[in-house]
Amino acid sequence: MSDRLLRVALIVVCAAGIAVAAYLTYVHYQPEALICTGSGGCETVQDSNYAVLVGIPVAVLGLAVWIAALALTIWNTDLARTLTTALAIGSLTFTTYLVILQLFVLEAICPWCMANDVVLVPLFTMLALLRLRSAPDA
Amino acid sequence: MMPVPKTHRNRILAIAIAVAVVIAIVLVAVSYLTRDGADETTPVVTTDTVATETVAPDTSTAVALVAGIPQKGTVLGKAGTTVRLLQFEDFQCPVCKRYTDDALPALINEYVKPGLVRIDFRGLTFLGPDSEKALRIALAAGLQNRLWEVVGLFYENQGTENSGWVTDALIDRILGEVPGLDAAKVKVDAKSPAVTKQIAATQAEATALNVQGTPWFYVGVGFRPPYSISPLPLEPSAFRPALDGALKG
Repeated sequence: MSDRLLRVALIVVCAAGIAVAAYLTYVHYQPEALICTGSGGCETVQDSNYAVLVGIPVAVLGLAVWIAALALTIWNTDLARTLTTALAIGSLTFTTYLVILQLFVLEAICPWCMANDVVLVPLFTMLALLRLRSAPDA
Repeated sequence: MMPVPKTHRNRILAIAIAVAVVIAIVLVAVSYLTRDGADETTPVVTTDTVATETVAPDTSTAVALVAGIPQKGTVLGKAGTTVRLLQFEDFQCPVCKRYTDDALPALINEYVKPGLVRIDFRGLTFLGPDSEKALRIALAAGLQNRLWEVVGLFYENQGTENSGWVTDALIDRILGEVPGLDAAKVKVDAKSPAVTKQIAATQAEATALNVQGTPWFYVGVGFRPPYSISPLPLEPSAFRPALDGALKG
């Protein structure tokens, strides 16, 4: 896959991540706007003590990370490429923890969170690694 | 821009990944260690919950019973609690009142306050117009996360079936007893399509679960579908085996 294609794919994934995180941020402050299927899993996850980290909603952190990822992808340099990969791996580590929380601690699934944690972040990490590999050598 | 030499790039990458992973691990640790912090350091204050640990001396028993417990909609108890007790009831049902008087306080004190179990209210209206009038008010109060005070107060004031006991004066008195409740908004919301939809959804759920009368109870654990329990007599001791069993998984 060409570097250009990988970059476009990364931008698309970041845009999707921003959309999901923005929605989760919005429903954090406007809970009645939550659109969710299932038996209350969204509410359980969104209202749990784990949804806020040192006073900051996890959704807001996610939004900030996705915006940073998009900015790094647009900033098309070697350093940005490296930082994107690091950001992706850091995010993957944290979202793995969030998935474990949903499955085994809260026993409730928020499909929007899962879309971010299981689909978008791993995809973003994979694309970032592929793009790093395809970077031209000095 | 000049490409960075590969060895130099690898070193930067290794450092960046190490820093990112360390930050992620710190976030995980902070998240885990502070998970109960809010509950321990504040008197159960959430953005959408009645949060008064201090209860005024003239507060009714129904209001005092649930003071300081997080509420959201029809749910009483801490979010994230995996075991929930669903109770189908009708405000005109005398046995429901007996359950509310005799068993519910102990269940709240033993299971809900310590954060072990959530109780989820399901109101039915099969006994008649007074049931629906009261239920609409309770559900509208639920939109302000004050349903459980109203539920207790309706049972405290339960009258003869379909005698017209759910008067506007009674509603005003009940709403006036609930701290922090916007009574005018409750009365408007009680007639809203959202409340009508909620009543219909509960009826459909009761049909699907084969609820055969009131009060009727189900226990839900995590993702699993709720299962029916038959605690008789309606005393705390009859509920404990089912709830303790559910807590053990």
